[in-house]
Amino acid sequence: MAEKQLQCTLRAAEHQKAWFAQLREDVFEKQKPYAIVQADMPLELFHALDVPVVSNQWWAAMVAAKRLAPHYLDGLNALGYHDGLCRYCSLSLASTIAGDPAQAPWGGLPKPALLSARLTCDCIQRVFETWAAKLDAPFFPLDAPGASELPPRWWELSRYRWNELFETHRLDFMVAQFHSLIRKLEEITGSTFSLDRLRALMEGVNQQEQYFDEVREMICRAPQTPVRMHEQVSNVMAAQWLRGSEWAIAHAKAFRDEVRQRVDAGVPACPSENLRLMWVGAGLWHDTDFYTAFEEQYGAVFVWSMYLAFGPDGYIRYGLDHPLRALASRTVSFNEQLHNPPWANEWIVDQAKRHRIDAALVLEPLGTRPSATGNLFIERALENAGIPVLPVVADMVDARGWNGLEMRQKVHTFLERV
Amino acid sequence: MTPAISALTNVYLQRPVRQRDRPLIGITSNTVPWELIRAAGFDPILLSPGPQYKPSAEVYLETVFSQRIKSIFHFLISNDSALLRAVVIPRTSEQEHKLYLYLREVVRQGVEQAPQPILYNLLHARSPEAQAYGLERTRALQFTLEQLAGHAIEPDAFSAAIAEGNAARCAMRALLQQREGPAPKLNGSEALALIGARYFMDGAEYALHAQQALQEILARPPLPGPRILIKGPPIDTPDFCAAVEAQGAIVVAEDDWWGSRAAGRDIDAGMEPIQAIFEKYYFDAPSPRVFPAVVADAWFQRNVSEVDGVIFHLPQEDDIIGWDYPRLRAFLDDRAIPHVMLRDTSPDEIGVFVRRLENG
Ligand code: SF4
Ligand code: SF4
Repeated sequence: MAEKQLQCTLRAAEHQKAWFAQLREDVFEKQKPYAIVQADMPLELFHALDVPVVSNQWWAAMVAAKRLAPHYLDGLNALGYHDGLCRYCSLSLASTIAGDPAQAPWGGLPKPALLSARLTCDCIQRVFETWAAKLDAPFFPLDAPGASELPPRWWELSRYRWNELFETHRLDFMVAQFHSLIRKLEEITGSTFSLDRLRALMEGVNQQEQYFDEVREMICRAPQTPVRMHEQVSNVMAAQWLRGSEWAIAHAKAFRDEVRQRVDAGVPACPSENLRLMWVGAGLWHDTDFYTAFEEQYGAVFVWSMYLAFGPDGYIRYGLDHPLRALASRTVSFNEQLHNPPWANEWIVDQAKRHRIDAALVLEPLGTRPSATGNLFIERALENAGIPVLPVVADMVDARGWNGLEMRQKVHTFLERV
Repeated sequence: MTPAISALTNVYLQRPVRQRDRPLIGITSNTVPWELIRAAGFDPILLSPGPQYKPSAEVYLETVFSQRIKSIFHFLISNDSALLRAVVIPRTSEQEHKLYLYLREVVRQGVEQAPQPILYNLLHARSPEAQAYGLERTRALQFTLEQLAGHAIEPDAFSAAIAEGNAARCAMRALLQQREGPAPKLNGSEALALIGARYFMDGAEYALHAQQALQEILARPPLPGPRILIKGPPIDTPDFCAAVEAQGAIVVAEDDWWGSRAAGRDIDAGMEPIQAIFEKYYFDAPSPRVFPAVVADAWFQRNVSEVDGVIFHLPQEDDIIGWDYPRLRAFLDDRAIPHVMLRDTSPDEIGVFVRRLENG
């Protein structure tokens, strides 16, 4: 595994581990409720009622990093779920079915009080219903109407003009669903939801994302990137899953400070940085060493992924008179923003220019549907902007069928041409 | 073949997008309210173009898209789609929402032309919020169609469209009855054509032909062979049924909108029209997004007791029904109903299953 250059990165990992141990203790010993949710859920509602959440995608990444995915997914296939089904969002279900706390990351997932997901792809209701049945816990879905009005440069509107950006009827509908979800959470916790508490959390999220915005700006401007992409992801996501909390805000600030120190002292992540690479798509969680594999020979450094950049553009909401509506606006369009034209291609090209990107690697996940769409538009837009593109065919969690050596070879050949 | 049967079969096989009396509006699934489009003065037509529209090199749609969606997209950006005033795309599958976004994008970028896409945000989860939202989006679709037509929909137009749609359903149900019970008279490959033709025709014309076809079918002797129900992604060609029937079985039902579930119940003509139309499509139209599973599975569970065996047909591009398969399989096992799962059309595997059923 690549060295960690930032103290913050180590602290983020330690905190996650301690947080999860505490969660297990609270659930097992104090019977406290927690929830398993899709990454694109309004985590803030759960936090506002003190229900900790484990995100499906985070857990999948943990399982993949422990190289357990092939074994778990084989188990899922053996039960009759064929191997053409999508894997990213079902790996955690597979880990529950495998049921081996001894091997599972950090002792495995305890039984949640609730599972919840936005119904984006057609399969997710199935994954979560199956999972909820296995865990003998209720499943609460949020249905997801499609966006139909999409002004291309959404990130210029999302902070202040979010109320116009995301279509009134979709926001109204999401808020109505939030009310039901809140009732469910109140039932589970016996507590009463407070709008003021939510507003305070949302303000905290804004503050946290402003720190990330500063980090992003430093990466854009510094002669060489002060922080590698993979360390960006670790720091950002550790805070995002707990967004708005005291720890998350403090961590975002500490991350900003440490990056600033490096910039001020002229310390780059990779002194031989010579090519700035962009990673488009979810992370390659089963082979994260891939992200540093091209530094030595080519000075090719990954400087960008969506994880840091999406924080400020996707999450900041100013004007919190109606915090539920603001939260709805943060929730309704993740998929369109990250994976669909025109929003994904326009944003990624803008990001590439701002980050002085020399070449882009685009994940083409054959076994994962929503993140597999929009890619051809993204690739063409990057190429039209003069940025060469290499598609990387791989699954983000499933190492079966992944030939790391061969793919590295392909990247070498690609970089020779850049 | 009588003229009626061959007329319906030809329409089904050719799926023509041709000029008709009224301006045409394309639709992409069973969940777009035919009656609403018709009442606004248009001829709705299901888009189901053949492989001829597939380009040699795909530059827009990633490999994860189904062949069906790819063909529709490429038809819509071809010159042949100029006949359409618009295309209504429902939020009935994730791929259809993407189809909508991609169409808009190629037009926005100025690289292709396409008819105006209209997104019909009908949701399929059963919740008070989704129901209220769907009703409101159906009213919004009415408004959009009225704008396109340049006039409001009169009450008479609603009544006429609903009556026409219901007449077609009634004729279709009469045909479907000939597949039911211990002595079916209509095999699956023929039935799919007689039912599916509806999507490419006028309701009234369809009803007339279907009634004539029924007369001939009634006079036939029952068909021998084990009776099969097919479960899988919707089958929009007769090929798979034909492969099963070549082995001596009779396909008597498909749990999808191209087959046994095409008609469903009538639209309530006594209700406020938009409410009635919405309720039909929200509560009674199959879609991969119907939630929860108890609702989505209800038809399957009711109908499997009427057949001798079930074939799960999960072709390579399936990424949805595969999630339902282990659950539905367990349901059949509990009731000792024979079943098999096939990922392709292998005559040998089908043959083995049919022999098993024949030998009881
Ligand atoms: S990415 Fe989409 S298709 Fe894949 S498992 Fe997740 S929800 Fe399903
Ligand atoms: S990678 Fe894309 S599809 Fe997957 S959880 Fe993230 S935003 Fe959603």
